[in-house]
Amino acid sequence: MDATQLLKGVLDVAVLAVVEDEDGYGYDVVRRLRAAGLEEVGDASVYGTLRRLYSAGALTSYVVPSEEGPHRKYYGINAQGRATLELQRKVWAEFSATMNALLSSSSQPGEAA
Amino acid sequence: MTTSTVAPQIVRFAEGVRAALADLPAEEVDDLTEGLEADLAESLAEDLRRTLPDPVAYAAELRLAAGLPARAPSTKRGLLRGLPDAWQQTREAVDIAVRRTPVLAGAVDLAGSLRPVWWIVRAWLATWLLAAFFGMEDGYWFEGVWWLVLVGLVVVSAQWGRGRWSFPGLRAVLVVGNVVAVAALVPVLSAVDARSTDTVYVEGGYGEPDLTGVYLNGVPVTNIFGFDADGKPLREVQLFDQDGNPLATAVSGADGCLDADCEKTGLWVPSALRNGTVAWNVFPMRMVEDEMDVNGGLRAVPGAEPQDRVSPYKRVPALVTTEKVAKPND
Repeated sequence: MDATQLLKGVLDVAVLAVVEDEDGYGYDVVRRLRAAGLEEVGDASVYGTLRRLYSAGALTSYVVPSEEGPHRKYYGINAQGRATLELQRKVWAEFSATMNALLSSSSQPGEAA
Repeated sequence: MTTSTVAPQIVRFAEGVRAALADLPAEEVDDLTEGLEADLAESLAEDLRRTLPDPVAYAAELRLAAGLPARAPSTKRGLLRGLPDAWQQTREAVDIAVRRTPVLAGAVDLAGSLRPVWWIVRAWLATWLLAAFFGMEDGYWFEGVWWLVLVGLVVVSAQWGRGRWSFPGLRAVLVVGNVVAVAALVPVLSAVDARSTDTVYVEGGYGEPDLTGVYLNGVPVTNIFGFDADGKPLREVQLFDQDGNPLATAVSGADGCLDADCEKTGLWVPSALRNGTVAWNVFPMRMVEDEMDVNGGLRAVPGAEPQDRVSPYKRVPALVTTEKVAKPND
């Protein structure tokens, strides 16, 4: 199974989890996701997700000017984002438990045989 | 950032990404790509082996993740529906390019704040064209009631410009109207200019304009009719003022109504003198039918002959001359 396909479904909650710790700009969020083990994550997917979460009202955004080069756009989580994240944590916990149970039980007949 | 300026390939890449998003509203594109250069620069500095992907594919991933629709193919929808889309995309691409250039962006902002001036100009132009159609324009301005028309059209023009008084199809009307107005502005201005200072009409060597004018109670005198002591009309009278200056009512290129209803207009025709010069002070002055030439100026209709002007009086009362008064005393 291709991990990038799975990632698409959970990128929202992954991004929310990353910015919950600390505000971040686009590439900063990419770097933290990769450091956490999601090495296949694409820049553009993360930037687009940040933009969509911002449009949906789950993130705040502010621009930090730079004298040395182009400015950076930072994203931070807000109350709605935290609520979304909490809900999705529960959904993920149930879903992953279900999947773990399904996958481990389907492997048992083979072991039992 | 590790570098003080953005590498050219990043700038080109970011431009490619923005171009591929150009069908989206400009604000959306800005929001999506703000900080893109900084992110890419940092990403490339961290991983020197990394190469930039295809900007179009990158843009597609960006809009997919952002939950935006994929780029609409406009060419498959037929030429008539595709053209407005293509125009819209071109405008947005130009908008984005302009906004990235501070000088151009400043110029566009300035032009935007001058829009009300244009609303007035186009209203003046429409009024002038209408008035000119009825022969009631006067230089850059108009006669009498046309000032009211101007005020009305300024109000309409400004309301439309401010997006008020809208109706279905107004946008198309405004686009076509503005294009026509821009196209007509220069010819109209040069036609007005040509009428006031025209030196083109020199058929027969009529010479340089004579700017002398004759006024009666502030109203320009266009022609003078002389009568002899018996009250009979005179022809070809040369008039001079007290200092010996030619008393001229018209200038080269000046025109007026040819008939009572002003259905035709004519140019004033000076007289030729035996010394080889032309005289504008010979009355009653005659007129030749005119037409507009290709430059918007006036010229005599080819082959048209100068016509006498209708005298206000066929005859005026005779004088009690000294000669006639003297006779009874003889």
